[in-house]
Amino acid sequence: MKLRVAILIALCIVLLVAAVLVGPDLTGAQGQFIVWQLRVPRVLIGMLVGATLALVGAVFQALFQNPLATSDTVGTTAGATVGALLALALDSSRTVQGLPLVTVCAFAGALTASLLVASFASSRRAHSSDVLLAGIAVTLATSAAASGIQYISDSRALFAATQWSLGQLPQVGYRGVWLLAPLCLVSCTLLLALTRPLQAFALGEELAHSQGVNVPRLRLSALGLGSLGVAACVAWCGPIAFVGLIVPHLVRRVLGPGYRVLLPMSLCVGAATLVSCDLFARLLVPGRELPVGIVTAALGAPALVALVARGRR
Amino acid sequence: MTKLEFVDLSVRVVGRTLLDRITLSITPGEFVALIGPNGAGKTTLLKAALALRPASSGSVRLANMAVAELDSRRRAALIAWLPQQIRAEEPITSLESVAAARYRFRESHAQSRRAAERALARVGASEYAERAISQLSGGERQRVAFACLVAQEAQLLLFDEPANHLDPAQQLDVYRLLGDLWREGRTIVCINHDINLLHHVGDAASVRVLGLNAGRLAFDARFSDAALPERLGTLFGVEMEALAGAEQRVIIARRRSPP
Repeated sequence: MKLRVAILIALCIVLLVAAVLVGPDLTGAQGQFIVWQLRVPRVLIGMLVGATLALVGAVFQALFQNPLATSDTVGTTAGATVGALLALALDSSRTVQGLPLVTVCAFAGALTASLLVASFASSRRAHSSDVLLAGIAVTLATSAAASGIQYISDSRALFAATQWSLGQLPQVGYRGVWLLAPLCLVSCTLLLALTRPLQAFALGEELAHSQGVNVPRLRLSALGLGSLGVAACVAWCGPIAFVGLIVPHLVRRVLGPGYRVLLPMSLCVGAATLVSCDLFARLLVPGRELPVGIVTAALGAPALVALVARGRR
Repeated sequence: MTKLEFVDLSVRVVGRTLLDRITLSITPGEFVALIGPNGAGKTTLLKAALALRPASSGSVRLANMAVAELDSRRRAALIAWLPQQIRAEEPITSLESVAAARYRFRESHAQSRRAAERALARVGASEYAERAISQLSGGERQRVAFACLVAQEAQLLLFDEPANHLDPAQQLDVYRLLGDLWREGRTIVCINHDINLLHHVGDAASVRVLGLNAGRLAFDARFSDAALPERLGTLFGVEMEALAGAEQRVIIARRRSPP
């Protein structure tokens, strides 16, 4: 077990280093710029986003006792999409405090949608399945709103919206890293602190309640913290599918499902997975970069089917 | 000591009354067998005691406090529960599941694991401590759930049909263990369908038998009461007969009562 954890961590580190080094040979001042101002920040953003999405996915799967729950089950992505579309339809070039209006609106939209669900979840009488339904309802409602906005947008805004919705990691400089790092770190650290009550949740919500877990409070803090991290990631990079769904299942297959291992390892493997997918996206079509969201979805869907086909351990 | 009181408690859900003005006091150190037809409200009564079911009117009091207002960890120190079934979809090891049941203690994970090992040994489940609960048989899983309850170290223990789906040998083990916990000074409330199983707890004569029907208390008797077979018969709508065994009285159903 310990050996497996060590191997997995080593593998993650190798992948992360490789992601910086792989590519056209770089020398001179231009090479320095590409490595330090483009590749390194891009890998760092990939790590932050991948780690956050995977950890939140693992936490939500535990919280909802549902293997299909992901980081956007509570409407985070749908809310972000509405925010982003609204900003693009209004004026995509405007900035707020130096930040693109799209990012600000997507963040606000994501937080609004997920806090709506979280506030419902903190009610004493709500069961996890009710919260899941509330999440689906909010997702559907916001998707409808998004379609409405798309209908009245002009074609330039529509194209920008499509671009945004594919999910990308390219960075110039470290601004994104500085913006995301604090939010992701707070979200992930505090979520990891919930490992113990989440473990009690595994045998059922009511049993956890009888064992002393304050269920409404646990739900509210897990949903609130998770949405905070995911909202930041989605606002900066656009929606990136499947990482939050696949990575926890992958870790569970390899290392077993004890949350004391699953949660921190989802963090590591999530970071390495997204960065590797992005590397792949960078190299697949020479001279053109695919959005990483397409790669994660294209690889994630068959990976999920393969996992399910192999059956439960 | 942890006294459990139901004060004029009613629980209603949309248009249905699950519990109808129950007033009942369970004193520390008692063994209470809760018996009644399916749908009588037995499980609801236990869940109300755990603040899992909110009272529509009246209240449940635990150690002289309204149970709904107790802090979660404090409540878990007073009262623990063995549900009819535990969820066992996540392939977590037995040991980790039992360690997680120690949530109320502010202790290190190593301490939780040691306590969990002791609890598993106590219920005779040590050999599958490292196996995933999703792979265990029904009987093994029930032992692990029992170990969770033991590890929680509460004063008052609630059991919801602990011998459900178990073979006779395992049923006997479960009720022996219930008796042991009782003699250690714990209060036991146990939902039970087969009254004769109570012989295995030892000193069955002093067990208090509560009959519940349609959300109301039907009778409050001792196991040794001569009238118990008749009361059980009325409760279930069957003709009950007491047979004198070599050491104990066995109560069996003969036929349905005429309408």
